[in-house]
Amino acid sequence: MTSTDDLIRSLASTAGARRSASLQTAFAVTGAASLACALLLVFLVIGIRPDFADMAVRMPFGFKLAYTGSLVVGTSVVALYAATPGASATALYSLLPAVIFLVLGVLFDPTGFPITGRTNTAVVFCVSSILFLSLPAMILLFVAMRKGAPTQPLFAGAVVGMISASVGAMAYTLACKNDGTAFVAIWYTAACAIMAFIGAVAGHRVLRW
Amino acid sequence: MTVEEREQRWAEAMRAERRGEAVAYERMLKEVAAALRRSLAPRLVRAGLNAHEAEDLVQEILIGLHGKRHTWDSARPFLPWLHAITRYKLIDFTRHRRRETTRRVDLPLEDWLKIVEAPADDASRSTVEVDRHLAVLPVGQRKIVRAIAVEGASVRNAALRFATSEGAVRVTIHRAIRRLLGAAEPTSTIEPSLRNEHDKHR
Repeated sequence: MTSTDDLIRSLASTAGARRSASLQTAFAVTGAASLACALLLVFLVIGIRPDFADMAVRMPFGFKLAYTGSLVVGTSVVALYAATPGASATALYSLLPAVIFLVLGVLFDPTGFPITGRTNTAVVFCVSSILFLSLPAMILLFVAMRKGAPTQPLFAGAVVGMISASVGAMAYTLACKNDGTAFVAIWYTAACAIMAFIGAVAGHRVLRW
Repeated sequence: MTVEEREQRWAEAMRAERRGEAVAYERMLKEVAAALRRSLAPRLVRAGLNAHEAEDLVQEILIGLHGKRHTWDSARPFLPWLHAITRYKLIDFTRHRRRETTRRVDLPLEDWLKIVEAPADDASRSTVEVDRHLAVLPVGQRKIVRAIAVEGASVRNAALRFATSEGAVRVTIHRAIRRLLGAAEPTSTIEPSLRNEHDKHR
């Protein structure tokens, strides 16, 4: 019992000492850094689309940006929820816009492009590019998540994986040559699912505190 | 203290901590520790652990609370935040303790059986002596230890005979060894005193 009293005394002696940044700030900064890393990799390794200026004003690019953007925002809100003990689960509703874009993209694809992309290797290239682009984000975001207090490490890890993939996908929109909304909705989401799985496995180990 | 009073009191103390008021914070930590001590012992027993391990878990939770206190939003209620941390730490603690126990049991059990097996030629004398030592054990532990160590039954046979699992037999033996070691060394009185504290709180 006395050892607990000693512990309490030593904990209390540091009251008010450390003012670490709020989780919101930490995640915002980390998210921005992650996106910067992913963009850098797109420019350096994959290269943006040759017809970028022309493509950037058309609907498919708008859809890609809207879908990946809503994923980034939605998963970030869920990440804050996962990092805060006792937070309200209504945060999960913030994924709704992304789900709506996903469903619309699959059901009402106006482009008529095949869902396996323009070439045989489109799916593999697209998914593996997004996975590659999301790696720096994943490392940075795990560091940020460890600053929080995730009480469900498996879930928190999966969410970290999903944000990383969303950030990677957002950067990849600059390079992606496939304009079918169904293609984007399905295969970008598949990359998210893979990263969520990897994140969950890693989170189980890394996010203990 | 009702739940509302507790919520207000502790949330206020958490805000005081942010202003650097160590005294209020220390008082709150003591109150939290006392409340946890009371509520965790039965939960640990239900999870298959010993109630006297509650103190370790209380300390884990206090360290967690302190280390992650910046994740509490002062505009939101404090108790749900604390409960989520408690729950996480309880799950984490039981998982690791169980794994540790199985690991801890495996080695000493084999060694211990070897030690007991050795003087088997002098059977009658050692049996009497073993019986004298085993007297410090509770009946359940004594039966299992005697079956394995004196009568030479395997863990599986003992489990069959007492209609329990092999894991339970191993855990029982592990506890019995600890108790026997404790009896051999009268200096280690930590455990009994802790247990008394818990009986007081219950």
